[in-house]
Amino acid sequence: MSLNVAHLAEQMVAAALPILVQHSSDVQSFAKTEFAKIAQTLAGIEEQTADGQINQAQAAILLDMQKGASRNVLLALKGLDMLTVEEAINAALGVVKTVVDTALGFALL
Amino acid sequence: MKRPGYAVAAGVMLILAIATATLPGCAVKKIGDFDSTFDNNVSDLEQKTELHFAQLKSNPSKPFDQDFYDDADARIAVLKTRAAALPKYDILSQQLNNLQSQFDDFEKLDKASPRPISGAAVGDGQSLIAVSFESILRLELALQRTGTTSAAAQAPSKTK
Repeated sequence: MSLNVAHLAEQMVAAALPILVQHSSDVQSFAKTEFAKIAQTLAGIEEQTADGQINQAQAAILLDMQKGASRNVLLALKGLDMLTVEEAINAALGVVKTVVDTALGFALL
Repeated sequence: MKRPGYAVAAGVMLILAIATATLPGCAVKKIGDFDSTFDNNVSDLEQKTELHFAQLKSNPSKPFDQDFYDDADARIAVLKTRAAALPKYDILSQQLNNLQSQFDDFEKLDKASPRPISGAAVGDGQSLIAVSFESILRLELALQRTGTTSAAAQAPSKTK
């Protein structure tokens, strides 16, 4: 039995695409929320330095902490992307598993 | 007009190549499994940290508390050891390194600040550390949703 490439691809895209779309929305929401908090804190540090609530040394430390927070958000986004790709590939392979394995005569997928 | 067909075939071949690069019959795995011990220990540290910030806010004259920072250091060290032992936990390990740096920074700020400590500085530090905790827990939550549970998490824990 020969595999119909176009049909296989259609099935795989149909399985993977909703996952990619859904996760894109989730990830965007997470990034917006966390970066809004960081932006708010940055604005706060500027204001608090200007009105003397914190001194320059404290502001410098808080800015350094802000870098750590931003790096951690970006790392979470990287991890979430990797998970999305993993899930999309597995969904795409899952829908064609039976037909591919049957055509090959052994369990490849 | 054969090009679109070739593109589709190339896409399918790419996905099959990725699949066959893993063991036959296994799902593609790019990042580690959910680990409940790791997750619980991060949540415990977050709770203790929030308590520390709440105490500093409610009593700005509270003296510098070295024990809190020593305890946090020890907890992060344990988490880093566990992350290093878990397969494909590189991202979470890097997040812990950043969290450790934030604790070190805030310890410096806390130690150098005259009492009463600035409520604004405490609030800012609290928000920035909270972002890191949320980033770590968000990724763990996604691992729990999409993946399997690590074998280490199924075994009795010695790190808690």
